Amino acid sequence: MKYKDYYAILGVAKDAGAEDIKKAYRKLARKFHPDVSKEKDAEEKFKAMAEAYETLKDPEKRAAYDQLGSHAQGQEFRPPPDWEQHFARGQTSFDDVDLADLFAGLGGGQGFRRRADPKSPMPGRDYEAAVRVTLEQAFHGTEVQLDLSVPEYDENGVAHRVPRMVTVRIPRGVTDGQKLRVPGKGGHGVRGGRAGDLYLDIAVSPHRLFRADGLDLFVDLPLAPWEAVLGASIELPTPAGPVQLKVPAGTRAGQQLRLTGRGLARPDGSAGNLFAIVQIAVPTVLDDAQRALFRQLEEGSTFNPRAHFEREAAP
Amino acid sequence: MNVEIVEAVTLDEHGFVTLDQLALAAELPVEELRALVDYGALAPVDPAATSWTFTASWVVVARTAGRLRRDFELDAHSLSVVLSYVRRVEALEAELRALHARQG
Repeated sequence: MKYKDYYAILGVAKDAGAEDIKKAYRKLARKFHPDVSKEKDAEEKFKAMAEAYETLKDPEKRAAYDQLGSHAQGQEFRPPPDWEQHFARGQTSFDDVDLADLFAGLGGGQGFRRRADPKSPMPGRDYEAAVRVTLEQAFHGTEVQLDLSVPEYDENGVAHRVPRMVTVRIPRGVTDGQKLRVPGKGGHGVRGGRAGDLYLDIAVSPHRLFRADGLDLFVDLPLAPWEAVLGASIELPTPAGPVQLKVPAGTRAGQQLRLTGRGLARPDGSAGNLFAIVQIAVPTVLDDAQRALFRQLEEGSTFNPRAHFEREAAP
Repeated sequence: MNVEIVEAVTLDEHGFVTLDQLALAAELPVEELRALVDYGALAPVDPAATSWTFTASWVVVARTAGRLRRDFELDAHSLSVVLSYVRRVEALEAELRALHARQG
């Protein structure tokens, strides 16, 4: 079993009072709680401090924890034999046991045995996992393989960390930040309790061309000045493959050309659009002939892109 | 070796959950969810119905409520206030994402 220094995690002394422990936890929770914090690694840090607080706020759990003595954070250690009796009905190995699993749901005046009431069903825990997909995977749907480390209870009521591999089909049309549920793939229920669910937090990796807002996709479309003026038929990449896009004559920079239904689509039939946002790209290197053509256009044109300046600035 | 492939379901307006299912997902007592409905933090499909159902999108909100309730030791009223701020922040973040997507 790996030692976790709960006092150090909360930044309190080993003889800190309950009120000091609560205050330290609240201060850290305010800073790192994943629902209110944008700190880097907030979720991981918060999990550690919540686990520490969960044990230290309960006098019974804290006393059992203190019996473990002092070790370095992360150091492998063996708890004293009489200590193990608190947690298991019989002989059990604590090698692959996580302190958090051991203390979870214990104490609170009910004694240390997890299964103090052997009759009532206990639902399995819900698990959460972060899943990162590419935009192409979000567009087409994909399968991801999750390697989870989950607690499973032995016959003595002790939770051991075991690896579990789950292959999950992610439906097409998922968006960044979306939550999905995989029913029944959380922890096993005990004594007929229902299995927990697995919740997935979807993150869609940034794409080099497309940006997503919900089901809508946006792509920058650079046009040469003559393509914007005269109109053109150009090949536009889409997540489903390239399409020919007709750019109307007189297209302006910033205009959004909509390709209906070419965004992300969900199995229920809802679909977003793909918007090509026009940018006018100008050649920066011209040879003499090209320069002459632009000069010729300049001399022959009466177009004034700043005509509104004169109108708006007039007294 | 047979590898079982399981389906992930989206938590959106197309799915529905009962009050009991929502309480299980949130790991909160049903009574606390009722209080959150009273404070306007959760909205059943038909508030006048004898047994409430919710669209599955509320599962995400309810789970956030459960975490905040446990981790900050909040009462139902404080929780409803915090939830309203969390949801406002999420709406603003979504607006920001939309602007970035449109403007690059």
